[in-house]
Amino acid sequence: MSQKKAKQEKPALNEKEQQLRALQEKNLMKVNVIGLSLVFAAATCFMWFGKRPTHSSEENRDLAKMPKFSIASYLEGTFTSEFSAFFNDTVPMRSTFKGVISDFRGNLGIAYDDGVELVGDIPTLEEPEPTEPPTTVPPTQPPTQDATGETTTEPPTTEPPTTEPPEEDINGEIANNILIVKDRGIMLFGGGKAKGEAYAGILNQYHAVLGDDVNIYSLVAPTACSYYLPKKYADLSASEPEHIDHINTFFEGVTPVDAYSKLLEHKDEAIYSRTDHHWAPLGAYYAAEAFAETAGVPFAPLSDYETVVKEGYVGTLYGYTQKAVLKNNPEDFIYYVPQNQYTTTYYDIDMTRERQASLMLNLDNLAPSSWYLVFMGGDERITHITTDCKNGRKLMIIKDSYGNALVPCLTSSFEEIWVADMRYFEPGMIGFIQEKGVTDVLFAMNTYSAMGGNASKLESIMY
Amino acid sequence: MIFSSLIFLYLFLPLCLTSYAAVKQTKIRNVILVIFSLVFYAWGEPTRIVFLLLSTVVNYLCGLGIGKYRDRIGSKIILGTGLVFNLGMLGVFKYSGFIMENINALFSASLPVPQIAQLVGISFYTFQVLSYIVDCYWEKVEPQKNLLHFALYVSLFPQLIAGPIVRYSTIAEEIENRTVTLRDVSEGFSRFIIGLSKKVILADNLFLIVEDFFGEGGVSHQTVAGTWYAVIMYSLYIYFDFSGYSDMAIGLGRMFGFHFDENFRHPFLCKDITEFWQRWHISLGSFFRDYLLPLPVFGIRNKYLSLAVVWLCTGIWHGASWNYVLWGVYYGAFIVLETCIGKKKMRKIPLWIRHIYNKIVIIIGFGIFYFEDGGELLTFLVNLTPFNKNGFYSFVEGMSACNNIFLIAAAVLFTFPLLDQCRKLADRSSGARVALSLCGTVACAGLLILSSILLVDATTNAFLYYRF
Repeated sequence: MSQKKAKQEKPALNEKEQQLRALQEKNLMKVNVIGLSLVFAAATCFMWFGKRPTHSSEENRDLAKMPKFSIASYLEGTFTSEFSAFFNDTVPMRSTFKGVISDFRGNLGIAYDDGVELVGDIPTLEEPEPTEPPTTVPPTQPPTQDATGETTTEPPTTEPPTTEPPEEDINGEIANNILIVKDRGIMLFGGGKAKGEAYAGILNQYHAVLGDDVNIYSLVAPTACSYYLPKKYADLSASEPEHIDHINTFFEGVTPVDAYSKLLEHKDEAIYSRTDHHWAPLGAYYAAEAFAETAGVPFAPLSDYETVVKEGYVGTLYGYTQKAVLKNNPEDFIYYVPQNQYTTTYYDIDMTRERQASLMLNLDNLAPSSWYLVFMGGDERITHITTDCKNGRKLMIIKDSYGNALVPCLTSSFEEIWVADMRYFEPGMIGFIQEKGVTDVLFAMNTYSAMGGNASKLESIMY
Repeated sequence: MIFSSLIFLYLFLPLCLTSYAAVKQTKIRNVILVIFSLVFYAWGEPTRIVFLLLSTVVNYLCGLGIGKYRDRIGSKIILGTGLVFNLGMLGVFKYSGFIMENINALFSASLPVPQIAQLVGISFYTFQVLSYIVDCYWEKVEPQKNLLHFALYVSLFPQLIAGPIVRYSTIAEEIENRTVTLRDVSEGFSRFIIGLSKKVILADNLFLIVEDFFGEGGVSHQTVAGTWYAVIMYSLYIYFDFSGYSDMAIGLGRMFGFHFDENFRHPFLCKDITEFWQRWHISLGSFFRDYLLPLPVFGIRNKYLSLAVVWLCTGIWHGASWNYVLWGVYYGAFIVLETCIGKKKMRKIPLWIRHIYNKIVIIIGFGIFYFEDGGELLTFLVNLTPFNKNGFYSFVEGMSACNNIFLIAAAVLFTFPLLDQCRKLADRSSGARVALSLCGTVACAGLLILSSILLVDATTNAFLYYRF
C-alpha cells in the first residue's frame, strides 16, 4: 500500500519539482537580465555623459572632432563615417582603456625567449640587385627610382604637438617590424640598396651644382637594430652598416661621415632610446663628434654642456606597439644644453614669420612621449643659429628628425648653422645655400630615410 | 554600421531597445524596428538605401502577384520577373566588374569595366527575397499583404547585412504576432555578448596574427610551418568572426522576439566534409539545398551535375573572384568524392583518419578563400609543401605561437561545445544550475566590458562576411 502511495506521489513531486525549477530558472533569468542591463546601462551612460578627450598625448595627435551636419555631407556618407570616427576616437578615459588593451594584448601569451616579442608583420628582407654603378647624374635628371617593391619603411616624423599626424600614417610606417627584446623596442631594418643609390645620386647632384667651394657631407645614422639586436635575431634585419657603406661607394665629391663606428665605440652607453624610435641625445652627440672630426671643426666636450635629466620617458615605440612592457619600464630622457653663446631664430618653412626663441624647448608642459621635441620643437620650421664660434664656417643641415639632436652639439663648431627638414622646406635649397654663403652642407638622416622615400624629397627641394 | 562598434553598442542599440520596450503593441514595435533598421542600413549607405527599398517593393509586389495568379501562367511570369530582377541586382552590384574583366581577358577586348561598389548585405537580403518569392510560388508561404511587414522581413537589422539568411517562413508568424519572453531577453542578451566576444576578443586578435604572416605579400616568405600556422589561425579567425556575427544576430533577434535558425553548429567537430557543410553557414547551405539542388541542370536531373552547380554557386556567392569559384569547386569535388564513396564506407574509415582528412581539407580550403591573388594563392599552396624554398621552420612562428598561446588555446577550446557541456553537467543539481547561471551572468558582464574596451582600439574591424 505504501509503495503504491509512493508511486502515486512521485509524479506529483516531479510536478512540484518542475514548478520549483521553473521558478528558480525564472529568478535566475531575472538576475541575468537585470545584471546585464545594469552593466549595459552604466556603460551607455558613461559613453554618453563621460568627458570626451580632445587630444591624445601618447599618440601625439588631436582626436577626431564632431563633424558638422549638412544634407550634402550626410548624402555623401562623410557625416556618418566622421561621426562614427568621433564617437570611437573620443571615448571617455581613452588613455586608460588603451593601457588596459595594451596589458590585455601583452597577456595573450608568453614571451618566447628572453622576453622577445615581434610586433607587426614578419620582416621581409628583399635585397634587390644594385642598379648600375656610379655615374654622374646630371642635376636635372630624376633620381633612379626603384620599383622592385623594397621593404624599407620610414620612421615617423616627430611633429610639434600642435600638428596632427594621422594615426593611420604612423601605423603604416612603423607599426610593423618592431622587435621587443625585454624592455627595449627595436625597429627592424628592411634594407633597400637601390634607393640608397638614388640617395647618393641626389647628393652628387648637390655637389655638382654647388661645386667644390661647398663641402658636402653625408651622415646616415644607424638605428638601434645595429647595436641592440640579439645575434640570434640578426636575420630579421638587414645590415645597416653594409647599406651605409654601399651608399658611400656611390658618392662623388660628397664626404661620408662614419657615425656607425663612432657609436659602436659607445655601444654600452645609453646611445639609443629603449622606448622611442630615435637615438638618445647622447648617441647624437657621438655622431656629431664624428662629423666634427670629419669636417675639421672644433667640438665641445660633454662636460661643457648642462645635463638635464627628465624621468619617466616612454617614447613613440609604446604608441606604435602598445606593448605594456615599454610603458611599464620608462627610461630617463637625458639631454645636453650647450653653454656657449648663441642665438636661435626660427622661420616658417617659407622663410616668413621670423622670431627668436630658445634652441631647446621647455618640456614641462609636454607629454613624455613628445620629449624628443626638445630640439627646436620639431621639424616644421627653418632654424638659424649664430654662435660665438668664429671660424668662418657656415653649416646647413638638411635632415630628418634624427638630425634634430645633432644641432645643439654643433653650436661650438660653426659660426652659423641653418637647419631645414627636407620634408618641410619651400625655398629652393641650392639658391638658399648660395644666398646664405653656406660653406658646409650636412645631410643627416637615418637609414630608413636614406634608403626610403624621404630621399626623393631632397631632389624636389633643390630649386 | 556593424555590431562590433561602439556607436552601434552604445548609441544605436540603447535607443532601439528602449524605444522598442516603451511600447507593447506589435504593430508599433514593427514600425520602430523598420525605422531603426533603415537608419542602421543608411548609416553605411545613405543614398543607396533606395536599392534596398526598391528590392523590398518589387518583391512585395511579386509575392502579391504570384498569390493573385496562383496556378496560372501569370504566376510563372511574375516569378520569372522576380528572379531576373533579383539576380540582375546581384549581377550588377556584385559581379558586373568581374564579368567584364573576364570578358576583356578572354577576348582580348577593352570593354569598359563598370566601377560599381557592392551594396552592403546584397547577397544576404537578395537570397532572402528570392526564397520568399519561390516559397510563394511553391505555396509554402502565403504572400505578405502588408508592405510594412514585408519591409520588416527584408530590412530587419539583426540579419540584414551579414545573415543568417532567414527564410520568410521562419519568422512570418512572429512578424505579425510575437511576444518577447523573459527567456528571450535573457538568452538573447547573453548570446549577443558571447557573439561580440567571439568577434572582438578572439577573431580580431587572431586576424592580427594572420596579417603578420600573410599581409602585404608575406606568404612568399613563410616556411612550411609558418604557412600552416598562419592558415590555421585564419581558419579559427573566420569561424569566430562569422559565427560571432551569427550569434549576435540570433541574440538580437531573440531580444526583439524573433527566433532565427542556427547558422553554425561547431563545424570543426565534423567527421567529413559533407558534415562540415551541415554545420557551417547552415542558412546558405540549406538555401542551395532547397532551391537549387532540386532543379534539373540543362534539362537533366543528375545528382552530380546538380552538386557541381550548387558548389559553383556556393563559391561565386562568396565573392566576384576566381579564388571563390575555386573554393566552391574544391569543396564540391570532396563532397562528390564522399558521395561516391558512400556513407557506409566512409563510416568504416577510422575516425581519427577522417578527422585529419577533413581538417586538412578545411584548412587548405580557407587558404584558397583568403588569397584573391592567383600568384599568392599558388605560392601559398606551394609553401604548404616540402617544395617551400624558405625551409621547414623558423623561430618566428614559434615566437608568434608563444606570444599568443593563451589566445590560441582559448580559440581551439571554444570550437568545442563547451557551454552546452557545462549546461548538461549543471543540470544534474539545483545548486550547480544556480552557480552556472550566476557565473554566466558575471562572465557575460565581464565580456561585455572587455569587448567594449577592446573596441576603443578598433580601426577597421569589419566582419569578413560584411562584404558578401
